Amino acid sequence: MRIDSTHGKWLIASVVILVAATAIYIPYAASSPLGPSGASGLGLAFGIAGFACMIFAGLLGARKKVPVWRIGRAQAWMRGHLWLGFLSLPLILFHGGFRFGGPLTSILMILLILVVASGVLGAVLQHYMPKVITAEVPLETIFEQIDRVRSQLLAEADEFIAGASALGNPLATAGARAAVATEELTAITEADVAPLRSFYSRQMRPFLEKPDARRQALADAAKARTIFDNLRTLLPPALHGIVEDLQEICEEERQLRKQARLHHWLHGWLMLHIPLSLALLLLGAAHAYMALRY
Amino acid sequence: MSAAGLIELTIDGKKVAVPPGTTVFDAARTNDIAIPTLCHQQNETPVGVCRVCVVDVGARVFAASCVRPVESGMVVTTSSEKVKQARNTLVELLMADHPTPCARQQSSGDCELETLARQAGISQPRYSRRTTSRVKDISSPSIAVDFDACILCDRCIRGCSEIRENFVLGRMGKGANAGIAFDNSLPMGNSSCVSCGECMVSCPTGALTNKGVTGTAIDLDPHVEAVTPDELQQLPVFKGVSGTFLSLNRGAVVRRHFKRGDVICREGEYGSTAFYIVEGKARVSISTPIAHVKTQGGARGFFSKLTSQLVPRKADEREEDTDQRYIHIDAPVDLSYDNPIAELGPGDLFGEMTCMSLYPRSATVRAETDCTMLEMLRNVLDIMQRNKNFRAALDKSYRQRALDSHLRGVPVFAGLTDEFIGSLRDHVELVRYTPGQIICRQGDASDYFYLVRIGFVKVTQAHPGGEMVLAYLSRGDYFGEIGLLGNDVRTATCTALDHVELVRISGDDFNRMVNQFPDIRKKLESVEEVHLQQNRERLSLVESQPLDSFLAQGLMEAQSLLLLDLERCTRCDACVRACADAHNGITRLVREGLRFEKYLVPTSCRQCKDPLCMVGCPVGAIRRRNSLEVVIEDWCVGCGLCAENCPYGNINLHPFEVMADDPEHPGRKKAVVKKKATSCDLCAEHEEPSCVYACPHDAAHRVDPREFFAGLVGQSPSQARKS
Repeated sequence: MRIDSTHGKWLIASVVILVAATAIYIPYAASSPLGPSGASGLGLAFGIAGFACMIFAGLLGARKKVPVWRIGRAQAWMRGHLWLGFLSLPLILFHGGFRFGGPLTSILMILLILVVASGVLGAVLQHYMPKVITAEVPLETIFEQIDRVRSQLLAEADEFIAGASALGNPLATAGARAAVATEELTAITEADVAPLRSFYSRQMRPFLEKPDARRQALADAAKARTIFDNLRTLLPPALHGIVEDLQEICEEERQLRKQARLHHWLHGWLMLHIPLSLALLLLGAAHAYMALRY
Repeated sequence: MSAAGLIELTIDGKKVAVPPGTTVFDAARTNDIAIPTLCHQQNETPVGVCRVCVVDVGARVFAASCVRPVESGMVVTTSSEKVKQARNTLVELLMADHPTPCARQQSSGDCELETLARQAGISQPRYSRRTTSRVKDISSPSIAVDFDACILCDRCIRGCSEIRENFVLGRMGKGANAGIAFDNSLPMGNSSCVSCGECMVSCPTGALTNKGVTGTAIDLDPHVEAVTPDELQQLPVFKGVSGTFLSLNRGAVVRRHFKRGDVICREGEYGSTAFYIVEGKARVSISTPIAHVKTQGGARGFFSKLTSQLVPRKADEREEDTDQRYIHIDAPVDLSYDNPIAELGPGDLFGEMTCMSLYPRSATVRAETDCTMLEMLRNVLDIMQRNKNFRAALDKSYRQRALDSHLRGVPVFAGLTDEFIGSLRDHVELVRYTPGQIICRQGDASDYFYLVRIGFVKVTQAHPGGEMVLAYLSRGDYFGEIGLLGNDVRTATCTALDHVELVRISGDDFNRMVNQFPDIRKKLESVEEVHLQQNRERLSLVESQPLDSFLAQGLMEAQSLLLLDLERCTRCDACVRACADAHNGITRLVREGLRFEKYLVPTSCRQCKDPLCMVGCPVGAIRRRNSLEVVIEDWCVGCGLCAENCPYGNINLHPFEVMADDPEHPGRKKAVVKKKATSCDLCAEHEEPSCVYACPHDAAHRVDPREFFAGLVGQSPSQARKS
């Protein structure tokens, strides 16, 4: 989501509402002998308006559950969520007269600030991160498919190594040799393949198998390039094609890792934003009920 | 001359007497003196073209014995060194223009030329071989033609003309370009050849050989009875079919017995045979189209009814629909949509498309009574369809039983009266075309109107930059009306994509029809206007100069392209969930595909201008509406051909629950899981595709690629819009 000129109308409406609310609040606060209060008529009105904005913002989640319902385009709901959600903060501050009040209202105010802050963080991330992912992960796949793609890469790499090992094994079946053999490859011995097998079992396979492990040299593109360049010097030219393929597999694995990392950035803030929002709405409803009843 | 009126002569020192007019070759043969030959056969008129039978008759030059009549006192030498040398030189020259070993030599080792060469001790001719290969003609389903192996002996031509009197084969070209030709210059499969096989048995080399088609014989099992060529020729439908051909294709037609209730073939299955009903009745049906493949159906239950108010749906009606709808199948009858069951009886042929073009079976056929059928492979069906008696029987059956439903199944002709169809019955013709054959050419005079009965027709239009595909037509479609309605000339070229059978209605009958039924004229004219407009749009599109990569990705082919702006998309998958939600939990969109600049083109139907997916559907379930959406109708039999044909992988098969006959309890139905093809229907029941509507980030767009990428293809958006 990009916050661009298409948000212009929402921005103007929000600014107009904020200016109007401020214009109402300043004389109201100045004229109140005990200072502005949430219990006053205007204070209550600010509270209701602010809570209404919060509820509308919170309904985005429900809206997403019924995507086919023709109740307004999802992007309109999203823009409403952003701008009205943001607007709820000044309205609630006007409601409380910039005071946090008792324990419940203090919690509510902290929650609101956290929700709005996490929302702003989310908006910023969602503004920039898609562009970063698009540029840096050209081999992007569906996030949920990453593990599957990874296992395919591992199987593919295993096949390359098995093929190369078969070349160096005089007992290997003619079929296995023919699967990868060209004229040049037929002269490969077991000793020629040994450095490749050793590299694969010690470095590359663990790299593909354990994406969460730290300090893996192959996870760094520059280091990986050096490692593969060194490996090439240990192998006969006929095996360089396989090295090339393995290098590409490592590059794809690095991109998968980067995609997973960026994806967590892109959506991780929701882990904070959604529970806090739910708590805010529930406690806000409790606060409203108690305030109106007592 | 002897007292008995015989002519006396000497051959290789032996005195012989033969009747006047006898050729030297025959005189020698009747006296057990063998003279080698290639172009001569006893049952054909001698022509003396190969000259291999040359003999020394004491004249200035050697004479071809097969054409030289005997003369009184003639002294003939057939095997002197000089004669042998001349003969060997001829064989060597022929061998230099003959692939060694040829197909016949490879398969049976009896190529007459190669045998002669071997006897003469010629392994490698001294003369240089032809450097360019002449083509092979494999268009006939039963006979392969290798022009390289042809020695121009003319035996096939005489076999075709003198023995069979078919007059299909002849000679074309001069000198080094001379060759045999079918109907002057047609591929054998497109010619009027009846595949009698006479040319093949006449040929001394591997130039004309028998082709094995999809296996040369049908597997025998307990229900199958082998039929000999003699037995087949006793059957009325095989009357006139060459016994030579049947002998060469022994096992390619068998007799099958089915008990009442036996399934003869099932919809969606692949096969390679056609069935001709000799006795008994069969019921043809397709699974009741209960499982709707389209966007989810009516609301069920209180909550659904309540929420359906929030999801306004337009009625999903096809604008071209009529009260009577037919499902076109690979049989002489069409099935009514409401009750997709019909009966077939003696004399009916079904499975032609499966047999000729290897399409999946379009319907399930079950024996209604104990049945006897002839099951045949493609080579036999092909020769049957060329057989006049068989064609006449099929034509009669079509006119009597299927013309009515076929015509009325075409929405614009739904209003024709019984009386008018009755009057057409004796005028329509069934005409066949082989793959690649041109039915009519752009610019030709308009003379006929065509209805497609079997197969697929490609409609193309020539333009300065090349040829453009306008449409693919299948059973139930028609063409030729634009020319007849006033243009006088064909506006497009129509070509048979596979084995096509058309119902041909003459221009006079067509004009009589549109004059008698002004409504039909009006409907045809409005459809014509739409088609012409679409063609104009496409032409102007082709004239623009799009980017290579844009073309390479096939984006120009799309009419409605789903694009995800990757710089806006947060990968939240709201589009995928919306698609699944709109289609009973089955998404028709996968958020993965090729990238074009900052856009992702996800796996979702592009509504191509050239919808290859439509080619081959055995029941015509995938089709285009009068607007641009490609829809898959409810009666899809789940064969998966459209999914295979889609170059972009945008059609998938999904399991649905349908009601089908319960084999354990005849007459009852039970729920079974059946696969059906699904593709994006643009959420036609809504104003906007759900994936676009549900995207919270303004990243999903359904666009006309010409307009959207106008800057890239060298047009302004307004130009693109106009085009």
